[in-house]
Amino acid sequence: MAAENAIDPIHQFNIVPFFSDHVGTATFTNASLFMVIVVAAVSFLMIVGTSSQSLVPGRLQSAAEMAYEFVASTVRGSAGHEGMRFFPFVFSLFMFVLFSNLIGLVPYTFTVTSQIIVTFAFAALVIGVVIVYGLMRHGSHFLHLFVPSGVSPILMPFIVLIEVISFISRPISLSVRLFANMLAGHITLKVFGGFVTLMLGAGALTAVASILPLAAIVLLTAFELLVAVLQAYVFAILTCVYLNDAIHPGH
Amino acid sequence: MANSEDDDREMKARLERLSSALDAKRNEPQARDGGADDASRVNAGRAMSLGFRVLSEFVAGIIVGCLMGWQLDVWFSTSPVFLIAFLALGTAAGFWNVYRIAAAPTSGGGSGRSSGSGQ
Repeated sequence: MAAENAIDPIHQFNIVPFFSDHVGTATFTNASLFMVIVVAAVSFLMIVGTSSQSLVPGRLQSAAEMAYEFVASTVRGSAGHEGMRFFPFVFSLFMFVLFSNLIGLVPYTFTVTSQIIVTFAFAALVIGVVIVYGLMRHGSHFLHLFVPSGVSPILMPFIVLIEVISFISRPISLSVRLFANMLAGHITLKVFGGFVTLMLGAGALTAVASILPLAAIVLLTAFELLVAVLQAYVFAILTCVYLNDAIHPGH
Repeated sequence: MANSEDDDREMKARLERLSSALDAKRNEPQARDGGADDASRVNAGRAMSLGFRVLSEFVAGIIVGCLMGWQLDVWFSTSPVFLIAFLALGTAAGFWNVYRIAAAPTSGGGSGRSSGSGQ
């Protein structure tokens, strides 16, 4: 009973099923609810934002156009013009990650990207697309990605192994980075929030000092906002870099 | 009406002033490279995300090497041999990942590898 009143910074990541008493294969949980909310928010921004098409854009249209131009220039910059055929894919990923990061910053919400299975599913999807498209487009030539030119034959097996390990490590680093950033940021915020309530209850002197962690929360929230946007950007740009490998293997 | 013509002229002058101010603003950041407080904070965030990227790529290489070696040991029941060998290979792969990030022409927070903006 006492544990229920204690401040638990991990509690926010609990998966809660809505229409049944346990989490099964196809249970609608709070994670699913926030995925739906994120998709609805992105769709609202893009559909309503692009519906008016006025020459002098309003706020929503401006936001929608900025999102498009930002992702388009990112894709063109790191995957070339041929990379633009993957623009819908990268754009959907970027907007979903960005909105779930941002919506997760609102108190009492659930951060979808703080679940490693979600980020790993995205990363596996990206690498799957890279492998399938690379093999479809270039056939066995895609495997030259693992065989750099100009290496002496004695070293070759080691280099190939290192390249394979490096390739397999990509989805892991891609997913762990996003997940760890979101998890660490939210736990830090909750821990500082716990400091405030504990210090308020502990006496007059500490109650006055509790303004310090409160100020820290304000600063941390601003910082988390930056991290949320930057991590979505990093996820998108690394997707483009990996797709570039599928389009132009063998550097 | 003369009034509306005046308004027109004023508006044109204002537009010109605005566009020249915009041009100046656009050319500014390259010249002084993050002198303002705002820019330096964003740069700090970018540097942090780049640092975290280097860390995660390095660690991911080692972990993948270890897992591969461990699994191969389970399959061939040669307990520590493959684990040790793949730990070394995984570390090399981690360094190789880090080298690739460092060798990219523009690496501010991980912007493109082959982009033309690397002046």
